[in-house]
Amino acid sequence: MKNPFEAFHQTAGRRREIPLDKILKSKEETLTKILKGYEDLLKNEAKDLVWLMQYSTVIKAYSIAEKGIEGIEYTAEDIEEFCYALDRSDQIPYLITGPAGVYISALCNYAKEEEITLHLRDLNVKINLLGYRLPPNKKLIVEGNVGDFTGIGLDGGELIIEGSGKNYTGAGMKRGKIIVRHNLGFNTGHGMTGGEIVVGGRIKGLGKIVGGKVFERDHLIFPNEGVKPFYF
Amino acid sequence: MEIEKVIQKVWPKVRKKHLFPQIPTPKVIEGGEDVALEIKSKQLFISNSFYEKLRDTMDGEEIVEAVLDHGITHYMYCPWDFHTHLTLYNEAKKVVKKKDLAQKATTYFMDVVADTYCVKQKETKIPNLYKNIAKTGVYEVLTSLYEKIWGVDLGSGEHDERVNRLSRIPYLERKRWGESIKKFTKVIQDILEEELENEQQNPQKKPNPLGEHSLDNYSLEEIDRGLREFASAVEDLQEFKETVEDLKEELQEKGYATGGMGRGKGSPIDANLLYYMKLAESYTLPIRKLPIEKRGDLHPHSHMPWEIGKPFADIDVWTSFGKIMPGITQIWTKREGETYGELEGTPDCLIIIDSSGSMINPRERLSYAVLGAACACNAYLKNESRVAVYNFSDALRGNKIVMDFNHEKEQIYQAICRYFGGGTALDLEDIQYLLSRSDNSDIFIITDMQITNLEKLIEFFNQIENRVTAVHLGHNVHSTRFKESTDKKKNISLFNVKNKEDIPKIVLGKIKEYLSSTSEWG
Repeated sequence: MKNPFEAFHQTAGRRREIPLDKILKSKEETLTKILKGYEDLLKNEAKDLVWLMQYSTVIKAYSIAEKGIEGIEYTAEDIEEFCYALDRSDQIPYLITGPAGVYISALCNYAKEEEITLHLRDLNVKINLLGYRLPPNKKLIVEGNVGDFTGIGLDGGELIIEGSGKNYTGAGMKRGKIIVRHNLGFNTGHGMTGGEIVVGGRIKGLGKIVGGKVFERDHLIFPNEGVKPFYF
Repeated sequence: MEIEKVIQKVWPKVRKKHLFPQIPTPKVIEGGEDVALEIKSKQLFISNSFYEKLRDTMDGEEIVEAVLDHGITHYMYCPWDFHTHLTLYNEAKKVVKKKDLAQKATTYFMDVVADTYCVKQKETKIPNLYKNIAKTGVYEVLTSLYEKIWGVDLGSGEHDERVNRLSRIPYLERKRWGESIKKFTKVIQDILEEELENEQQNPQKKPNPLGEHSLDNYSLEEIDRGLREFASAVEDLQEFKETVEDLKEELQEKGYATGGMGRGKGSPIDANLLYYMKLAESYTLPIRKLPIEKRGDLHPHSHMPWEIGKPFADIDVWTSFGKIMPGITQIWTKREGETYGELEGTPDCLIIIDSSGSMINPRERLSYAVLGAACACNAYLKNESRVAVYNFSDALRGNKIVMDFNHEKEQIYQAICRYFGGGTALDLEDIQYLLSRSDNSDIFIITDMQITNLEKLIEFFNQIENRVTAVHLGHNVHSTRFKESTDKKKNISLFNVKNKEDIPKIVLGKIKEYLSSTSEWG
């Protein structure tokens, strides 16, 4: 008897491997590695689900992050994927935005690209500490709003925020430039010794600034007659 | 025409390749040379001008095969149905906010998905087609993307950062299409805006070479089903409303109206009404039919042999051959007659709905009261019964709708969806009037029970014998009071609705102990 499904048998799916499969596979693998490095950081730094924002903890977290990302081949798009993976995650430690910011900063600082754009407009959480220690010849553009301590310890790089930031932006920065399209919060530039902060909107309050320049809507507000440098 | 012969030759091969889809043989149109394909309902039309234009650079059979592969994959894979199309459009709209841009983004995304699927799963000439069609605007980027993700040379040149981002989207993961189209739209948003601006300045619109995706692609039945599924899938009423408002003109042109398909162009679409209609179609509420009553009269049922002592009156002389003899003579066994009550089947229903300030405005958010009432309305109308509506807020001050029994679904929905948002008081005279308009009708009341004259309503319900299905939203002292006061009445059933999932649990016309004892009825 003739098989009635013979015609279907001959047209069985061809299913060939296309480069898209490789791209997606490699993307998944990279994300897994990046997440693994982040989990190691959390194991060390946020065991009790508490992370105190102190000078020493940030330095320690950054050095763990540097080790965590060692040997990982990634691009700016992978960093962005990681940010969204954090946002989607329901694991409580993932949502502690301090270590996340230090880790993302390390990823940006060691990325191959000189210019990195992170499209974070749809992110629900506002990540703190983005742009930490951004080195010279690096440009980080963040589309969306960011949290506290953005661009602290900036070390010669250029950080552009296409949105608003919160408190302590540019605190302790040494050189480089921070451009914020909209507004900033309190203690802006606290302890900064050099570099420039340029804000398109309003600044709620300046911190104790040692050196450098701060512009608000094209006006130099530090140093000027009313605001003198602070000496610690 | 040459193309017709080519279609006749290629069509069986293409059908076989796609596992014999239920699509009629494609037709040829003398369309513009810029658009290869038009899809209307399930009919594919291939443009002869496009074919002739491409004929110089590509083999005729390859052109037709590639265009047909593209068209069929839209049916077989993406979007597959109108619901998927709407969902993708809705997600794209969240990014670009404008209807025209969202439509463009949806079309391009569906093309990428369908073509990538075809290239991966089938033997196709689609890459050759892209190699030979004009690469401008979004198509320039898409051709570049295809080069990267298909691994073929389409002569597009360099891949920029945009293509890198686009190539990381999992186009073939159906479950992630919602998230994927958002990413896709974000990446090409600026080109789409530029394209739209050019089109607005230049009336000579540059069409999509592989055809636009519009409502024309779907039949009215597919649209109806798609809207129903979309209403169940969206997060809230506003999302549904926004999408339907965007497509209102196209839907009306297709002859689709609020009441459903085939109602003609005259009836304007009310997105709110349509939402509740489509959502209510996803729920089916059972109605208990009126129980059978014993009427008391006896009728001859079957024969049995006569024995001495049994009444002569029951002897059937015709089957006893005129003889009175045990064993030969037969008598009739009689049984009590059974019949329905005064009304057979399903009675009419009076829907009493509370639209006072404590209830949700059904035109702003999903109202369980309106959804519940809509489900009840559907259930009775399906059983060919009539429905009356008493929508009240502060009824004594005129904030009410009294609608007599009828079969007009759209009118009933309009009455149900009306929101007053004031105080809460019933006018029992109105209810008595409506009940007098139909014999023994059922009552379906849905409220949060925070009614000023609740005691009078309880008293009224305790006096009547109509079946009452009372649905209260949330628990409060008033609902407890209602429950306690009507607990002993067998014709009143009380249901609580806390969320959407509770609605299918409602049984209309349920009578306590109905299953255990039907004999008490009658």
